[in-house]
Amino acid sequence: MAAPCGRMASRPLFQLLSCFNRTAVGNAGIRQFSTASVCRATLQAKSVTERASSPWTLMAAVCLQRLPVISADCNPIEQQFKDMILQMELEKSVLSDHELQLLEDAERMRRKQADDYDSDEEEGRDGQEIMLAQDLEDAWEQKLKSFQPAPRARADVDKDLTSAQRCLAETLVLLAEQQVGKEKLWLLPQTQWQEGETLRQTAERALDSLPAGYKATFLGNAPCGVYKYKLPKAIRIENTVGTKVFFFKAILSDSAPPKAPKAPLLWLTKSELQRYLKPAYMMKVDRFVLGV
Amino acid sequence: SICLLSKDLSLIVRSLICFSFSLFFWVDHIMNLPLRTYRSMPTHGIGRWRYLLPKQPKKRREKQPMKPILAATDTAYGSLNVKLSGYDMTLVEHYTQYIHNLCNRLGIRVAESYALPTKSTEVMLMQEKGTKMYVDAVLKTHERVVQVNSLNAALCPVFMEVLLKNQPEGVQLSVKEHTEADYHSRFKARPELEGLMAQINQ
Repeated sequence: MAAPCGRMASRPLFQLLSCFNRTAVGNAGIRQFSTASVCRATLQAKSVTERASSPWTLMAAVCLQRLPVISADCNPIEQQFKDMILQMELEKSVLSDHELQLLEDAERMRRKQADDYDSDEEEGRDGQEIMLAQDLEDAWEQKLKSFQPAPRARADVDKDLTSAQRCLAETLVLLAEQQVGKEKLWLLPQTQWQEGETLRQTAERALDSLPAGYKATFLGNAPCGVYKYKLPKAIRIENTVGTKVFFFKAILSDSAPPKAPKAPLLWLTKSELQRYLKPAYMMKVDRFVLGV
Repeated sequence: SICLLSKDLSLIVRSLICFSFSLFFWVDHIMNLPLRTYRSMPTHGIGRWRYLLPKQPKKRREKQPMKPILAATDTAYGSLNVKLSGYDMTLVEHYTQYIHNLCNRLGIRVAESYALPTKSTEVMLMQEKGTKMYVDAVLKTHERVVQVNSLNAALCPVFMEVLLKNQPEGVQLSVKEHTEADYHSRFKARPELEGLMAQINQ
């Protein structure tokens, strides 16, 4: 009774060559991502002709995550501790080259202005310094003043649940509204498994079927969670007892704006998921969505 | 009164001896100390024997052969290199230590953990009025590598996700397969040797 969970690492032993960058400047809103697959073994579809038909319909869902872009703000306690540690390190530290140069220059200035200054007594210098260290520091200060950093958090973007740029300090999970049976429910994008494909391919298909074309990297062939749903007796057909949904994790690799802005897609943090997901479903999803 | 005194004294002496023995026993039991040797003791160095053996010449340490590079199997990856690089050395170093400790806790085998030489980049700016460039800043790129063997394919997504979620700002993470070229890049190039080898081979 097999959901072919990829034959877990065999069918493509997907050798990840991945490069994750976290730079301050760059594509605003997303981490740079590049992957290349090396020696991807071709799928040997050893088709099992005698597959026992299981009473469960199998589906695969994708848990698409957008990783945080900026660092999270500190607690008040963390901030206090940080300040204290910085103060301690400053007090214990030794003067740097630049600071020594500043002191030397000040000393020399003071000696020059003294009445009994004899320039022949200067040691080691063959002429006046063109740029004093203080001038350098002033120039740097000017440059810093003219630098405008982008605002860390914008309240209007944070409130827009459909935008992938909201809550830059937290991980966001994509939720789609899909038709399940008779009703429309909010859940992780899922599709039904078809014969001959692995569950991970099903999850990739689920991601591609979304109206907004998101590019994502799947982290592995193994599912991270499972949700079992038994159909109520009233609508139970002879063969099917219910559905089993296998979840696969993926990381968003580009921040291209969605092609269909009106699509029923939401980007939610872990705390907000509870408002949109059914309780039993939420319990299973809660286990693998890391709240870090 | 004398006998009383002697009785007292013997009592004191006996109690002292008992006390010292018990103290000694306690010390010995807890700290497993051997009898302390003083250089002024007549029996100092009584157990020496290594000076009686014939002198052996010091062996030069042999060149360590390369550790075998594992190939990927059906359920596990082979030798993977987790490479961290960044400008801030404290962040890169701490992140490396975090990854190493995480692997120890998760039972992932860490083959090696080493640092590659620091690369200095000079940022040169053009002068506003003129064609000359002057040095603006020197940036040092630090690189650390954690080599991981036989990472289980089912554990890999969890491991990767934890790494990504805990990546500090300013640190680049890259996971690649380990190759011989990576191994040889750790050694310094020896141009004279290479020249001589080329001459021999010609």
